[in-house]
Amino acid sequence: MTVDYKRGKKNQDSLVESITNYVKKQAPNWIPPILAIVGFLLIWQLFTLSPESTLPGPIKVFQESYYKIFWPFAYPDREGTAKGLFWQIFASLQRVAVGYTFAGIVGIVLGIIIGLNPLLFKAFDPLFQLLRTIPPLAWLPIALAAIKQSEPSAIFVIFITSLWPILLNTIVGVQQIPRDYKNVASVLQLSQQEYFVNIVFPASVPYIFTGLRIGIGLAWLAIVAAEMITGGVGIGYFMFDAYNVGRTSDIIVALVYVGVVGLLLDRLMSFIASKVVPEEQK
Amino acid sequence: MSEISRRKFMMTAIASTMGSVLLKGCLGNPPEPGNQGNSNTQSIAIPKANIPPEQMPEVKTVKIGFIGQTDAAPLIIAKEKGYFAKWGLDVTLQKQPSWAVIRDKLELGPAAGGLESAMVLTPMPYLMAMGLVTKGNAKIPMMMPLRLNVGGQGISVANTLKDTGVKLDTSVLKGKVSEAKLSGKQLRFAHTFKGGTSDMMLRYWLAAGGIDPDNDVITQIVPGAQLVTSMQTGDIQGFCVGDPWHLRAINQKVGYTALVTGEMWKDHPEKALSFRGDWALQHPKTTIAILKAVIEAQQWCDKMEHRQEMAQILSRDEYAKIPVPDIIDRLQGKINYGDSRPVVENSPNVMRYWEKGTASFPYKSHDLWFLLENERWGNIPKNTDLTKLISEVNGATLWRQAAQQMGVSAAEIPVGDSRGVEVFFDGVTFDPEKPQEYLKSLKIKRT
Repeated sequence: MTVDYKRGKKNQDSLVESITNYVKKQAPNWIPPILAIVGFLLIWQLFTLSPESTLPGPIKVFQESYYKIFWPFAYPDREGTAKGLFWQIFASLQRVAVGYTFAGIVGIVLGIIIGLNPLLFKAFDPLFQLLRTIPPLAWLPIALAAIKQSEPSAIFVIFITSLWPILLNTIVGVQQIPRDYKNVASVLQLSQQEYFVNIVFPASVPYIFTGLRIGIGLAWLAIVAAEMITGGVGIGYFMFDAYNVGRTSDIIVALVYVGVVGLLLDRLMSFIASKVVPEEQK
Repeated sequence: MSEISRRKFMMTAIASTMGSVLLKGCLGNPPEPGNQGNSNTQSIAIPKANIPPEQMPEVKTVKIGFIGQTDAAPLIIAKEKGYFAKWGLDVTLQKQPSWAVIRDKLELGPAAGGLESAMVLTPMPYLMAMGLVTKGNAKIPMMMPLRLNVGGQGISVANTLKDTGVKLDTSVLKGKVSEAKLSGKQLRFAHTFKGGTSDMMLRYWLAAGGIDPDNDVITQIVPGAQLVTSMQTGDIQGFCVGDPWHLRAINQKVGYTALVTGEMWKDHPEKALSFRGDWALQHPKTTIAILKAVIEAQQWCDKMEHRQEMAQILSRDEYAKIPVPDIIDRLQGKINYGDSRPVVENSPNVMRYWEKGTASFPYKSHDLWFLLENERWGNIPKNTDLTKLISEVNGATLWRQAAQQMGVSAAEIPVGDSRGVEVFFDGVTFDPEKPQEYLKSLKIKRT
């Protein structure tokens, strides 16, 4: 937008001309993705043209799930999966927020402690490497058996899923602090606290944020799977309920919503990272 | 205005106007078509009943779990038509994904975030009270004071077995059964819960024709949603369950309805309403109030002229979430078997909820039958004192109190606790006074 200021007196362009100029300039950025999406929808529709097809095409999805697509805020006062998709996603996000916050706190604090201490690292690393490969859904039966209630179990699954990237990336971030920094600290005789606040933390922040970004993506994946088993209000349970009653169109609409929210979460994380991580480290 | 370019201002204004118009259109609730559930069905509020102080419920808020199928209609109608509110209750119905989860939540109990009451399969409270299906074999005190419905289930068979023409008599299947056994891949039949009503009905059906449900074929649990798909892939060859799975199998051309269960045993008991025994002991008046509301709903549901509206309420997302055309036929007694048999109208085997009290009263003789069948198949230890067990779990006394307090006519309150001798489709009789003779008369059993 500011390019036009530099061009001088063009502020007085007519409105139509300004819009046309803007579109013309941005077109090469928008047209290819739009074409790709349209192409994808066409191929999808072609594959599902046959009347025996069990998967609905985009047109059928639109027809059958019309109310779910255009009224995401509907029925906040009704029970369970009757609520609009916004409320389902909101409920899922709440669970993600709790689990992810716990994972963030535990992951960063534990990561810094273990990263700074080579003995602790040697002790715990094999255990972490083993535990982190366990898929999130495999934790759910254990959580249910131990905690017995479905809501805390789902939050635990989020916690354990997003913990590993945050923890391990923090450890790496702390471990890779260059020797020079530590030498400077001892030369300047910095206290533990100053060392920590001025050197350790800023040096490892980019790694921590990588871990946080991966963690949020995994957490969103895990909640959808966990909710299929725990029930109630939530986008994962909504999809499972739609599968149970055979409403495939609803599943597809929910999938799109899940994808969009996942993308937004990722972008949010990277936006926060861009503000926090120091400029010259990027 | 000179600082901000006019174009930027216009773009912002247009974008925010479009945004707010879009949002406004998307906010609130969509217009109500018939299928989405008509909120105008209860425009007339039911006046609160005149409850004498000694009958006032101890607590007002209660959570009741249910499974999204037509059997749950009395609970749903009691809520939607205001019967719960009429008797001074504020009930939340919580849809559960499976019978296993209902069992888990009743195990937990209301204090630990579970449920104090739920819709159950008739044998379930007994299995829980004996500690047979619970974690750590804990014996959970249970109370079952009301039957929700009778009949209304069916057995579907895959089209791959259609040439045998199997209906009630499974002896025609014997050829295919031994063929499958020899080839190493036995025929499989599915139900919804081990020891539950569909498990027992399926086994009885197979055994009556001379097929051993454990050794000749495999009987297993398959969740409702996967029944038709499993039949399509050939993983199962038959299933016993409620609606709408049988019409689904017919519509998707994978199977046909061999029989509706009323043909096997007329007006057989199905689902029941159960409470945690300890909770019911502490809140007897609340329990009775719940029974009164559900009894009124059952009376409403039993009237055929209400079934259309009932199907519409059931079809809502938070309840059965099934489109009305999929359930309305069988609810109104119209049965399409999906084979050469003509479509039956006004079938006597339609699902019933009240039937002059006999569909709602929790007959002890029926509890006994399910326990005996469970013993038959080795789920229950042989010398269990069934009479003692039934006296602990069955809540017929509470039902009678509720019926009397609300003024149910004496003609509709059963006199004894037994429905008398039952006769099945294969001629076998069950006399509740002589349970061991019944067990002896059965040819295939595990005990």
